[in-house]
Amino acid sequence: MNPLTGKAATMEEWLEHLKLNREIMENVTYWHTQPARPARTAPFPPELDPRLSAALGTRNVASLYTHQAMAFEAVRAGRHVVTVTPTASGKTLCYNLPVLQRLLTDPSARALYLFPTKALAQDQVAELQELADAMEVDIKTHTYDGDTPPTVRQVIRNAGHIVVTNPDMLHSAILPHHTKWVKLFENLKYIVIDELHAYRGVFGSHVANVIRRLKRICRFYGSAPQFLCASATIANPREHAERLIEEQFALVDDNGAPAGEKHLVFYNPPVVNRQLGIRRSSVLESQKLAALLLRSGIQTIVFARSRVRVEILLTYLQELTKREFGPKSIRGYRGGYLPKLRREIEKGLRSGEIRGVVSTNALELGIDIGQLQACVLNGYPGSIASTWQQSGRAGRRHGSSVTFLVASSNPLDQYLIQHPDYFLGRPPEEARIHPDNLLILLDHIKCAAYELPFEAGDTFGGEKLVDLLEFLAEEKVLHENAGRWYWMEQAFPAHGISLRSAAQENFVIIDMTEGHRVLGEVDRFGAPTLIHEEAIYLHEGVQYQVEKLDYPEKKAYVREVNVDYFTDASLAVELKVLHVDKERESPGGAIVRQYGELMVTAKPTIFKKMRLRTHENIGSGPIHLPEEELHTSGYWFSFSEEAAAARSANDMQSALLGLANVLVHLAPLHLMCDPMDICVVPQVKAVHTKQPTIYFYDRYPGGIGLSQRLYEKHDELLAEAGRLIEGCGCLSGCPACVGPIEEVGLLGKDLALGLLQRTAGAAG
Amino acid sequence: MSSLRDRLDRLRAQSASAKAADAAFGVAAEAKADGAAAGIDGLSQLAEVADQDNVGPISGRASAQPDTEDEANNGSGLHPALAALDVEEVAGEYGSFLRRRAIYPLEHRHGHYVLTELMTCAGRLKPIAVRQNRKRGSLAAVAEPEPEEIDAKRLLFLDTETTGLGVGTGNLPFMIGFGYADGGAGTFTVEQLLIRHPGEERAMLSYLLGKFAGVTHLVTYNGRSFDWPVLTSRFVLNGWRPSGVEPGHLDFLHPSRALWKNTLPSCRLSRIEEDRLGIVRGEDVPGSLAPELYMKYLSDGDASHLRGVYIHNERDILTLASLTVHFGGVLEGRLGAEWALPEEPEELFRTAAWLADHGGEQHAERLFAALIAEGTPGGRWLLPAAARLKRLGRHDEAAGLWERAASLAESRLLPTAEAHIELSMHYEHRRREPGIALDYASRALELLQRRTSLRQSDRTRAELDAIRHRMARLRRKLETTGRLG
Repeated sequence: MNPLTGKAATMEEWLEHLKLNREIMENVTYWHTQPARPARTAPFPPELDPRLSAALGTRNVASLYTHQAMAFEAVRAGRHVVTVTPTASGKTLCYNLPVLQRLLTDPSARALYLFPTKALAQDQVAELQELADAMEVDIKTHTYDGDTPPTVRQVIRNAGHIVVTNPDMLHSAILPHHTKWVKLFENLKYIVIDELHAYRGVFGSHVANVIRRLKRICRFYGSAPQFLCASATIANPREHAERLIEEQFALVDDNGAPAGEKHLVFYNPPVVNRQLGIRRSSVLESQKLAALLLRSGIQTIVFARSRVRVEILLTYLQELTKREFGPKSIRGYRGGYLPKLRREIEKGLRSGEIRGVVSTNALELGIDIGQLQACVLNGYPGSIASTWQQSGRAGRRHGSSVTFLVASSNPLDQYLIQHPDYFLGRPPEEARIHPDNLLILLDHIKCAAYELPFEAGDTFGGEKLVDLLEFLAEEKVLHENAGRWYWMEQAFPAHGISLRSAAQENFVIIDMTEGHRVLGEVDRFGAPTLIHEEAIYLHEGVQYQVEKLDYPEKKAYVREVNVDYFTDASLAVELKVLHVDKERESPGGAIVRQYGELMVTAKPTIFKKMRLRTHENIGSGPIHLPEEELHTSGYWFSFSEEAAAARSANDMQSALLGLANVLVHLAPLHLMCDPMDICVVPQVKAVHTKQPTIYFYDRYPGGIGLSQRLYEKHDELLAEAGRLIEGCGCLSGCPACVGPIEEVGLLGKDLALGLLQRTAGAAG
Repeated sequence: MSSLRDRLDRLRAQSASAKAADAAFGVAAEAKADGAAAGIDGLSQLAEVADQDNVGPISGRASAQPDTEDEANNGSGLHPALAALDVEEVAGEYGSFLRRRAIYPLEHRHGHYVLTELMTCAGRLKPIAVRQNRKRGSLAAVAEPEPEEIDAKRLLFLDTETTGLGVGTGNLPFMIGFGYADGGAGTFTVEQLLIRHPGEERAMLSYLLGKFAGVTHLVTYNGRSFDWPVLTSRFVLNGWRPSGVEPGHLDFLHPSRALWKNTLPSCRLSRIEEDRLGIVRGEDVPGSLAPELYMKYLSDGDASHLRGVYIHNERDILTLASLTVHFGGVLEGRLGAEWALPEEPEELFRTAAWLADHGGEQHAERLFAALIAEGTPGGRWLLPAAARLKRLGRHDEAAGLWERAASLAESRLLPTAEAHIELSMHYEHRRREPGIALDYASRALELLQRRTSLRQSDRTRAELDAIRHRMARLRRKLETTGRLG
């Protein structure tokens, strides 16, 4: 450590220094070190075009990593291939190599690349172009997205060897106009799908259907392309690829790339109130660690769970380090920033001009920001896969890197921070999709019919296609004649169908401080709680107050303010059971669980003003916005009268609330899904059952199979909840288990545990 | 999950209530006529599709005879509404479809114009064709050379009625109407092809291909970015492949906009017919309703829904002939000779400018002369007309127009200062009257300030600076001359 500048010469030196810092080290619950891993290489395959090996040679690549060689071989053998390796392992060469090899020998061949975002697509084109230039061959690589100027589009359609786009563009611009892409579809040899793990949940279910449509169009033009996929580490890469693409895949997962030493530090903020189980805010602790890193000259990325958190952390960090760094050296990054700003930040990170960045999971994907040295996770990212992805942002092929996982006070974080072996010993999550969700499926059958008529005997998805076609014919969307179904509506179906939940219905945020300037955007689901009138909206660390929310026009007008609070809105949720599909009673009859269809109405009610830093409540106000309806699938269980009889309504309330607080965190862990995808609602006297009930529902119209899985895993789920409550070190409930005493009462912990044990006992 | 049928039933219940709400047709369909929605993606690639040698050239065929390879079946078995329209069934290699044929003598008058004028006027349209088919010229290797002259007999006047908007693959042309002239027989034939269901499309397209033989240009209204891309897409969907060659275009949408954009409420074909071509549509079905009517026909089989569509489409095709005569006549220089000049100065200016752009500088000059004559009411044409005179070196005439524009600007609430600045320049550099130039410049400053008091931008700031700079220079000049004097 340089005593004058306080900067560390190497990461190793910094870490040694850190280990002497008692104030930090006493909060470290576990220090995990992954040793450096040497490279394992294989020679260039003998059939590799000499121009390719020469071009690689100019980039000092003289051999392949083993996984690259295996992927090359599998593709050459005609297999669909999915490659799974961590960040920065030379993953792109796994698909670029076989594609370029083919294009060198067959210039009429075509390849289509899909990336989940435009930014990733642009990175990729730059890389491919570089290789093509090094080989001095005319391989044309183009991005085709919403930003592509109309004049260039025709050239790309006819002459682009590699077309790089995103699923949304494929869905709404390419497939519905496939007749303009004859050259591409007739000669399509490879379809490359990178970031395969990003296509999960609702988005993945849509994309699976887009791929069904894509394959249908390829068949029409007589091509049968090979799929080359790449994914970050997930538990079920091959299964996921096979569900998404509906083809048999070869898996390449033997990573031969080298990696430097990696430190994963579990950090639990200190307890400040033992009785109440209150720990110091993870935001403040993350900020402290990040400031420590930044001041030592270490380029650092901080991940936070929500947009608001990102902005709060950014404000704090800029404030803390303003003497050392200019305001442009520490930046925020999240959805809602306009593309130009994002590109600027990515570039600054690569060049090193930007020393620190605070991001949501928007930077989790493989956007090229170079490799940073340190990463601070403010709160558990919600899944093991995400944690590894985010932590992979720090880490170079040579030299050490460090990731701090700073636990928040929610039960899941606390569980993980105290059971590091659980985290480290568990495989990352499975990616799940449900492409046959009826609403999603119907939407894409419409799009598919628009693209090409359906014929008797066709299949599309797992449901009986004829029934769906007949339904659409009744709806006068399709017209049936002689066993063929034709699109027969004036509308263009892809326009009304967004692959990402309500992404099309973004609210635009307009800053009126000086003239009118578009500041950013918020998706429809976020709008009621983020940009209701009087909300404080944070953007790049600056506070804005929402003055007017034009709900029908989807615009929020804000003005810059300087206040010492932020706002936090509450939603009131009502549930109505429409249909019960499955029902089961526990052996003793104490618990009845059901699975079926629900109508959920949600209405924002009030917002609270919370003082910055102390987070104390300093005021509130009503929110006047229309309610949103959601028709979805759900699972719920209720306690029998006998089980409830012994308790007062108040006690029952505390017990249910406590249990729900635990389940809301455990459920995503079992489902391996994003916590945002599933909701938990406890009701002391539910309308449907008249009994104390806890509801779970999928936060997507029609459901995406999550609550169905919970219904099946019910026993395991409750047993886990019991273990978690029992194992918590607090006296009578804390945020890490059933919730704080203020919320569940002094006896909350006992009541919840009692309820569980009573019913479980009855069962046993 | 409940069974698929149950879930579909619940969806049925939901959609029944929602359906009442979304039956908006008009808005979207309007866009087709205006060309705004079409051409989402620009022009489709050049394409003329294979096997066109099967059918002989259009010219020379006796129009009333049944086609050699197609079997026409009159009336029998058709819906009475179709029979009443003289619709017949045509069967060919790919199945059957319906055809209606109406043969007009060339003496037929459609609005202001008589069809026979086509035969001479078409030849005048070359400047439009050259401009619209430039791309074709640049691909000379594959394209046929642009014919020296445009021959009315080799034009196909084309208009399609489709089930939707845009040029996506799900938009189906259910009626393809086209017309062609036969000088020898003295006839103009309109054929309208209709498919009774989407399965007949291939047969209809194959027949249409035959009609392309010998055709040099498609005459359309927005056909470059709508009808032709839609048809190209349909050919591909039905198994044909683009060969890289396509017929030339004579698309009247762009010329019509050039002339009438500022003087007609819209450039929809029906508006132009009524206001400029003297065609009275009477009880017309608006084109925007065509998809809805066809879908009604599909669902109940009652062909009487289609009567209005047939009539509408037929008139559109005749109107394409009228437009040919109109633009041919304009290019020939008939305005201000056989034909009256446009009444509104704005239209007169736009017409003159368009003529000048299309190689008719000589005729344009006559129109410009009429425009700048005393007594023409001022308007936004003044500045561009003055700019043209300036370009031609006719500075004093230009100054006359600027003066009119300047006094007009003075009377406006939110004036522009362009005329004043031009005058200031004129008096400074041409007339060497720095005093007058300074007056105009300071007046320009006042006007601009009035404007910018409402809204400042970088551009207006730059303009203000430029004027101040000019004024300073003029003052210096005045001082010098003053001292000398």
